Amino acid sequence: MNEVRKPRDPVTGHIKALAKGFKYLLEPNRMTLDYPAETMKLPPNYRGFFTVDDKKCIGCSMCEMVCPPEAITMVPRIIGEGGKTLPAPEGEKETKGPKRTKRPVVNWGKCIFCYFCVDVCPVDAFIPTQVHDVAFEKDKDYRPSYEEYLKPPEEPYKNAKKVVSKADLKRGVSYEPAP
Amino acid sequence: MNFIPIPLIIWLIEDLLYLIIFPGLVTILVLVIIIIWLERKIAAKVQMRFGPLWVSKKIGGALQSLADLLRYSFQEAIIPEKADKLAFILAPGLMFAFATIALIFIPVGPYYSALFPSYYTILFSVALIIITPIFAIIVGWASDNKFSFIGALREGFLLISYEVPFLLSVVSMIVIFRTYNYISAVQSQLNFLPGIILNPLAALTMLIVMIRTTGRFPFDITEADSELVLGLFTEYSALFFGVGMATPYVELYNFSLIFSLLFLGGWWPLNVNVMNPLYGLFLPGLVVVIKAFIVMAILVFLRAVYPRYRLDQAVRSGWSYVLLLSVLSVILSIVEVKFLR
Repeated sequence: MNEVRKPRDPVTGHIKALAKGFKYLLEPNRMTLDYPAETMKLPPNYRGFFTVDDKKCIGCSMCEMVCPPEAITMVPRIIGEGGKTLPAPEGEKETKGPKRTKRPVVNWGKCIFCYFCVDVCPVDAFIPTQVHDVAFEKDKDYRPSYEEYLKPPEEPYKNAKKVVSKADLKRGVSYEPAP
Repeated sequence: MNFIPIPLIIWLIEDLLYLIIFPGLVTILVLVIIIIWLERKIAAKVQMRFGPLWVSKKIGGALQSLADLLRYSFQEAIIPEKADKLAFILAPGLMFAFATIALIFIPVGPYYSALFPSYYTILFSVALIIITPIFAIIVGWASDNKFSFIGALREGFLLISYEVPFLLSVVSMIVIFRTYNYISAVQSQLNFLPGIILNPLAALTMLIVMIRTTGRFPFDITEADSELVLGLFTEYSALFFGVGMATPYVELYNFSLIFSLLFLGGWWPLNVNVMNPLYGLFLPGLVVVIKAFIVMAILVFLRAVYPRYRLDQAVRSGWSYVLLLSVLSVILSIVEVKFLR
């Protein structure tokens, strides 16, 4: 049986609504995070910006193949002395010979942070971080070169108070200082 | 030097002081900035948010509206190609001007007013206030934008449905006080009872009409930003938009002054009889402006509570409940005048 809803009395309805609003005004019950002043302590497996370990990477291109938005491109490199890779000669795109290799570079404008590349990597070469709140000032900053990609963006608001959210039956969401 | 009429000079200085400094433009600017901040802050508190905060964090973001004003002042003013350019440029300014000019006929003290104390100040101020929405319709027509045009049509519908109750509620107060003059009206309230006790129905009608005319929340229909992009001011930018956004608040200020003079007893705790510059001129005005500010704050609080009426709901309630209330308020006034006095 459906209950028939009574039509609300216009006068008492208005008075009740105003009284409730006034009550909320006197007892502020904020659910929003005061974001730049306090930030959430993120879980350990949070998917933020990531970089690649130049020494571990074998240049197998699995990450490029699995990337859904095609954000990863492989750039040609040459294995140099001291274990570092060097930029390949100008105009050479195909890799030939034992010393030639490839390294991934991520276009942050396309990346959806799905972490398929991190999962698929056979040698676990990707280094994940939890940094996620970065604003790029220029369009060019979205598309780093390989050298820039090795240093991922740093966390802004390092001095912010770290909090964790907590489900609260009365208030909805409340925040506590992180342990 | 003998033929310079000194009373005329004093009168001119007093006029300028009235129009530019105390209840005039400077006070309007400060109060509008405060009330916009207060509106956003109250709505944020009730809706469990922070509201404007980061412009000046120590005083709760109170300088946010000032920062917005600065931004509007230096923004590029874009005029659409197909707009009626003269009307597009002039209409917001005229709207603001007519909303402000109504202040000439609203005295805030027995000896402190902008013009010679006219006998018909209530009629003149009400007439000037009613002109303002017509410029809103011109704004909507001049923009050559469908959202602006729909906003203007809605403004027209609402204007017609809520004008009669407004005039009737003012008429019922005129019937009670037996005068067309604010100063005599306040004087008769000081001698007897404030108008809101004498005729609560008229006060309620007047409040509803104030909410509707200034576009506060249950009647935020012309500017409905989830349906029409920004209603009338969709095509506007820069200082034109700033002026257009400030106009409803200026109207709100004028309406609140009228409300506090007609219903809240004007300068009620003070019974001024002496012509002292401080006590006679400014103190009653301060009391009236504070009362008006409290009324403004209450009306602005409604944004936090109410959703928006549909156009047909608003027009229907205008022609049914509100018109009925105003007619009843006139009848109440006549009955009171017949039997109480």
